[in-house]
Parts: sequence; structure tokens; C-alpha cells
Amino acid sequence: MRRRGLFIGLVTIGAVAIWLLLAGPARVLGFDTGNTGVVLLTLVGWCALYLVSRIPDGGLGETMSRGEWRAWLGCAFTLVIGVYSLVHAHAFQGPPLTHNPDANHVGRNVVMMLVSWMIFAQVLEQRWRGAVREDERDREIEARATGWARMTLVVLAIAMAVLLSFTPAERLAWAPPPMIGHLLIVGLIASCVVEYAVTALSYWRDRH
Amino acid sequence: MAGTAVRNEIRRLRFERGEMTQQALADACGVTRQTVIALEAGKYAPSLELAFRIAHAFGVRIEEVFQWGVT
Repeated sequence: MRRRGLFIGLVTIGAVAIWLLLAGPARVLGFDTGNTGVVLLTLVGWCALYLVSRIPDGGLGETMSRGEWRAWLGCAFTLVIGVYSLVHAHAFQGPPLTHNPDANHVGRNVVMMLVSWMIFAQVLEQRWRGAVREDERDREIEARATGWARMTLVVLAIAMAVLLSFTPAERLAWAPPPMIGHLLIVGLIASCVVEYAVTALSYWRDRH
Repeated sequence: MAGTAVRNEIRRLRFERGEMTQQALADACGVTRQTVIALEAGKYAPSLELAFRIAHAFGVRIEEVFQWGVT
């Protein structure tokens, strides 16, 4: 019962964090909602990690492999980062970043989330140190997922090249250099989402 | 992954050896327990090296553990 309450609480806080990041007002009572959203999301991640570490042997933690846990968490994290980047892409239509506080703000939040995820992933690795963490099946799944990610990146790069090469300049007013740079980063994040999603789904299909 | 044509007798062999746990077999072969689960469910075909390791863990020949399911 207590665990259920904690789960509902975490989901609620996570939902508020995502709303603050994606759709909330820029500032509430002088607080930057983007930063607040990042902090709340990281807090939810840490609490979820703590709860997972408390699951006894034979529980969910033993049914799902380390690779699958990492893949689902990575998928959720990178998906939030990708959606946030797309929702706030309009900020990059302005002047160069040195004179564009809105774009700087979005970029800073994206970097904060990426750094949070990297620290989070490292903690996961530390927690599972000592056990057999990956074997030939994990490496096979990883190789398949990497192939999908590479294909995604290739398709996005070709789409971008075709778009920029064949569209008349007057119709590309929405895409000044900062926006193109931002779209390239979004492409990278999209390939990460695909990699994590393919990994997680491969594990999930092995279990069902 | 719909399944593999390589069938195996891992579950039977485990039970014949005093209900050896999946974790014990996994530790003996240097893989995760989830891989043993996938093998027993026929969702994963092991490499030749892993197949030999599993057979060695049970002390039997490799063809007593794995069979080609397509005739």
C-alpha cells in the first residue's frame, strides 16, 4: 500500500515536471519553470532508482535484466529531452545564440537533462557492479539497436540535406543557422530514442 | 523475436540435477539469468561457445542439450 502511494506520488510529480518543461509558463513567482521541471524530473529519477534498489530478490528487479532497466529509463529520459527540444524549437528562429536569451535557456535545460541522464546511468552501472551485467544476448540486442539508430540518423541527415538543398531560400526563412544546428541536435537525440526503444522492446519481446 | 529453430533441454536437465536454479546455471556459464530464461523459452539461440558452456555445466554432450528443430 505504501509502495503504491509512493508510485502514484512519483508519477504525479513526474507529470508536473514534464508539464513545467513542455507546456507550463516560462516563470511562476519569479522561478524559472524550465529549471524547476529539470530538477523535479531528476528527483523523480533518483527516487525511482531508490525504489528499484529496494525491490527484493525475485521481484521485478530479477525479471527484467539490467540492460532492459537501463533501456526503458533511457528511452523515457531521451524522449522527454527530444520532445522538449522540439516544443521549444521556435526559440532558435531568432538571432544567434550570443544574443538570444530564450535559445540559451532552452539549450541550458537540454544540457542539464543530458548531464542528469549521464550521472543517472553511471549510478545504475555502479549499483549493478559485480554481477554479470551483460552477455552475448545483450551485445546482440545492442548491435541491433545501434543499427536502427544509425539508420535513423542517416535518414534524418538525408532528409535535412534534401530540404536545405532543394527548398528555395525565401521559403527557408524559418531555418536560420541556429535552427539548423538545433535540428541536428534533435536528430541526434531522436537516434538515441530509437536506440533505447529498440533495445527495450527487444528485451520485452524476449520475455513475452 | 518470434522464436528459434534451435530446441533445448535446459529446463529438463536443470530439474534432473537437483532443481538447479536458473541463477546457478547463469553463474556457471557467465551469462545473466534473463538469458537463461530466454533460452528456456526458445526465444534465443545461443552462440556455439555458450552452447558448449551450458553442456559443460551439465556434464553432457552438446547434442544432448540442443537439437535443430527443423527437419
